[in-house]
Amino acid sequence: MKLHLKLSPWLSWLIGLGAVVATGVGAGMLVFWKGLSVTHLTDLVPWGLWITIDLSSIAVSAGAFSLCAAVYLLGLKCFQPVARTATFIGLIGYTMALLTLLMDIGRPDRFWHAVVYWNKHSLLWEVTMCVTLYLAVLVLESMPIFAQFEWLKVRWPKLAGRMSRVHHYAPYLAVVGLGLSMLHQSSLGAVYGVLKARPFWYRPDVSVLFIISAVAGGMSLTVFASMLAARLTRRASVDDSLLERVAYFIGWTLVLYLYFRFWDALSMTYTYQPGRTEGLHLLTEGPLSFNFWVGEMLLGIIVPMVLLLYRPTRTSQLWRMIALILVVGGVVAYRWDTNISGLMIVLSYLPGEPIVEYTHYFPSLIEILSGAGVVAYGLLAFSLGVRYLKVVDHSLTVKEHEERKVEAKKPAPA
Amino acid sequence: MSMPKMNRRDFLKIAAVSVTALTGVQVIRRVEASEPTPSGGRQWAMVIDQSLCNGCGYCVMACRAHNDVSPEIAWNPVLEAGQVGDKEIYLPRPCMQCSEAPCVDVCPVKASYYRPDGIVMIDYDRCIGCRYCEVACPYGARSFNWRAFTGPNPAVPEWGQPEVSRRPRGVVEKCAFCYQRIDRGLALGMIPGVDPDATPACVVVCPVGARFFGDLSDLQSNVSKLLKARPSYRLRADLGTGPRVYYLPATEERA
Repeated sequence: MKLHLKLSPWLSWLIGLGAVVATGVGAGMLVFWKGLSVTHLTDLVPWGLWITIDLSSIAVSAGAFSLCAAVYLLGLKCFQPVARTATFIGLIGYTMALLTLLMDIGRPDRFWHAVVYWNKHSLLWEVTMCVTLYLAVLVLESMPIFAQFEWLKVRWPKLAGRMSRVHHYAPYLAVVGLGLSMLHQSSLGAVYGVLKARPFWYRPDVSVLFIISAVAGGMSLTVFASMLAARLTRRASVDDSLLERVAYFIGWTLVLYLYFRFWDALSMTYTYQPGRTEGLHLLTEGPLSFNFWVGEMLLGIIVPMVLLLYRPTRTSQLWRMIALILVVGGVVAYRWDTNISGLMIVLSYLPGEPIVEYTHYFPSLIEILSGAGVVAYGLLAFSLGVRYLKVVDHSLTVKEHEERKVEAKKPAPA
Repeated sequence: MSMPKMNRRDFLKIAAVSVTALTGVQVIRRVEASEPTPSGGRQWAMVIDQSLCNGCGYCVMACRAHNDVSPEIAWNPVLEAGQVGDKEIYLPRPCMQCSEAPCVDVCPVKASYYRPDGIVMIDYDRCIGCRYCEVACPYGARSFNWRAFTGPNPAVPEWGQPEVSRRPRGVVEKCAFCYQRIDRGLALGMIPGVDPDATPACVVVCPVGARFFGDLSDLQSNVSKLLKARPSYRLRADLGTGPRVYYLPATEERA
């Protein structure tokens, strides 16, 4: 037998992700050291790539609250293994968001201020509180998942048993998670929607669109990641009929999303309104038009909607996976467009005819590298979860799950 | 006696009623809170006469010196605002010190707040640098410290001496009507708007006397009299922000 280490696909995947994470950590350190002058953000465009990663990772984590609500509140117990995957993805997504936020605020040393100094009028305060509390809920909900870690079960069986028992509180956690998520998923849209200063943002329905697109994107990522994992490794096993049912639901969610998006954007205004009309033109015929028509509308909503509602394509694993990843891409495109479309237009405050000025933003290399680092961390965490925590395991039915908990209580053989 | 057992439906009913009631109380409180500013106290305001302003920019420099502002930032820029007749018109833009300031509403940590005299303040020790106030302000009055301001201030000593401490990297900053001059002046028995040492630096330095400062709640103050005597306007009054900076427009006769 040869002595040299064979580079398996798994190992090269880990090394590749590790390299991107390491580069991201380096870039992040530079941000903390040099401050935000290393970004291409300005006083007129103060939010950019990072806020998009932030919004997107929270949006695609929405599978956790929606599937947990389905399992524990609507009583659709059969989806429990899917909810388990979604919860783990949610935990990763929210930590990604917090990491990005930490870089994005000017004083990361004061990140805790929002928890101590309350401004109940501020949507950003509400979002911060909800995200913090919901992260705590996700940590609790993930306890039984981490209790499956073989090493932990052998080394500290009592601890593993305790962590596993948190599962008893799953219905209560699902209620709290649903409440917190309904609040902050929509409030993230309202953060933009309440601002009169940027006329294109000033639309209360942004909040409705944010939560609907989050539910679609979150469930899509969960199902896509499960299917991909099952194809790539034997450590993941899925019940395809279960995932197909979730995919069908996503299809109908997209109908709702398209409906609201239509009334939100495509029939926004017939008369000229300074700033607002220009914002719409940015999307429909300006620099964001490809993003909007192709990324958001065609590939993000319409194509996957058809693929997921049409039975032959939905039951085909390949078509279903394509549709699901398109939904995720569409949600990310929507977040990017929402943020940047409002920022690209500045309305003058001089008296007389309002003058519209256009700004420009393209992220700096440091922003891109640190952002890529955060995304790679998410992929790495999920890959490790599939391998060591069996987060994608539909063979584990509810009944077996209960039995495993009993097993965990027993002392491990020495 | 035992409590009658509550079923799920009753519980939900009670919960719904309580939530509605609580929300109602909050709404009422909010309405009370948005009543006009407290009576009796001073309400500082600035009046800028555009027929006099010649765009020299002395106010920008005096502001930088007295408030120790970085050369990359202007709390109080002077903008070109078209022509009346054949004369160039300018618009100096300090912070509007809105009575319904969007920046105060959106700040997640209450780092932006109102003083009882109406000045909108930033607590630089509390600001986390999220920049939500920057996108919320319709007047672009706020600047972020993208880098630390180190080294000497080029505006000092020619345009004055710093009276407040420099802001650190990573927080948002803005004009606060030279509150430090107002407070010190009042403590010494001076009248802001009348005594130069108690008046914002931009008002004092203006070589053509285009800026006026005073107490709106005092009907005999120079600003109250000016606003009564001449037509004035405020920037984007349609937004309902209630700015405390008033402009006297340049007209054909008075340009």
